[in-house]
Amino acid sequence: MAVKEKIISRDFPEYIREPNPEPDFDRPIEGLTPEKIEKTIMAVLGARTARIRSVVETCIHCGLCSKACQWYLSNDGDPTYAPVAKIRMTIWEMLKRKGKVDAEFIKQCARIVFTECNICHRCSMYCPYGLDITFIIGLVRRVCFVLGVVPQRMMDQDHSHATSLNQVWFAQNDWIDTMQWQEEEVGAEVKDLQIPIDKEGAEVMWLPLGAEPKTNTYHIERTAKIMMAAGINWTVPGKDVWDSSNMPMFLRDFATMQRIVRGLYDNAARLRIKKLVLTE
Amino acid sequence: MLDFIRDPSFYNFVRGPLVWIAFLVFIGGSVYKIRALYLLAKGEKAVLPFIDGQATLRSLMHWLVPFASRNWRVRWPVTILTFTFHIGLVFTPIFLLSHNVLVYESWGITWWTLPEGLADVITLLVIFSCVAFLIRRLFAPEVKFVTFSSDFLILAISFFPFLTGFLAYHEWLLPYKTMVVLHILFGEIMLIAIPFTRLAHMFYFFMTRSWAGSQFALWHSKDW
Repeated sequence: MAVKEKIISRDFPEYIREPNPEPDFDRPIEGLTPEKIEKTIMAVLGARTARIRSVVETCIHCGLCSKACQWYLSNDGDPTYAPVAKIRMTIWEMLKRKGKVDAEFIKQCARIVFTECNICHRCSMYCPYGLDITFIIGLVRRVCFVLGVVPQRMMDQDHSHATSLNQVWFAQNDWIDTMQWQEEEVGAEVKDLQIPIDKEGAEVMWLPLGAEPKTNTYHIERTAKIMMAAGINWTVPGKDVWDSSNMPMFLRDFATMQRIVRGLYDNAARLRIKKLVLTE
Repeated sequence: MLDFIRDPSFYNFVRGPLVWIAFLVFIGGSVYKIRALYLLAKGEKAVLPFIDGQATLRSLMHWLVPFASRNWRVRWPVTILTFTFHIGLVFTPIFLLSHNVLVYESWGITWWTLPEGLADVITLLVIFSCVAFLIRRLFAPEVKFVTFSSDFLILAISFFPFLTGFLAYHEWLLPYKTMVVLHILFGEIMLIAIPFTRLAHMFYFFMTRSWAGSQFALWHSKDW
């Protein structure tokens, strides 16, 4: 029987992992040069903003954040899964070496920040100083994103958002078509049920997640039924952006992230909506 | 080395000018650091507009009172340790009789003082807490993984003023005069180090908690 080979970190001997079954980061790191890495790190972290400074200069390395982390708890208290350990293996090292790290190091950072942290903010609730650990992890994610070292699926979603402003490569006509099809479909069941598109002055605008029109269309008819039963004056936008899932946020792709949020609010302003209702 | 410390001119130096230097660096450095972080946050525009005074106070209250936050309850041994340590560290020097006498001799002012026996016990508790912190740092895996030489250094900086103070009071190990010079010296080192090492958490604590409290209040959640 073949012995399963473990991945051992070159920089941190304690960091031992199973090989990653996902498409790994070998291909994205191929083109990375030390100059490019250094330039990117300095661009993201070099300014040492107030939030970076307050974390780096306050953290007393007490390890009290560890019991907040589901990764730490579900890996039998392996210290390399503790939130502070993730900071130590990524940003502290980047700052200490002034951005002079190699592609192998970036690959390891990407594995830590994308596959071993859910950016859930629980560690900030356990830190005696309330340090914004998630914000720091987000910055490391940004470094990895700018360098293109991102899990394939997340990168695909980000490309989809950048191109079509939704997560599922939907064109505007696909979206409107789906809404009308759902309205027709429910018509057989419920009399006078409507899915109003672009209704001006409605009280509520419903913004689904991308997967709902794509694969879970029954969510749409159910939402319509609930709105009807509750007697709510509602609508869905007929123009982009309608997908409220902001996947670029998880990569800290700020440009696309802003386009989506702005698009959602523009739609609401255009139709003079009072409330936004989002699927979660 | 001991001869150097015993020398009256060295005593005069640590007792005179160095005290002024230490306090000036401590106060000036702290003000500078707080102001620098504040101005930096102000320039970023994404921090100060979200600061919420009420949320800040609630957050501080839950973390300054033992067992008032979830993590203080989950990690109760560390909570007992850290509160003993910090209360002793901050309040004993201020209310110690001998320190009060020094101030009285210089400026004729005095305030409430701790009974000497109690001060002795608190000093011992601080010393033991330091040792316990050291043991935790060496043996708790999650702490050991993030331990650097600077962590031992800041622990030593807060440990030695108390150790030498305790030994001087009991006149153990070294003659009183020598020990007291060492004690003054270590105290001054600590004061000077506070603004420029991670001991700065003394004042950064209030700023980072303010940010965390405000953020969690914005999310209709709590950070304790």
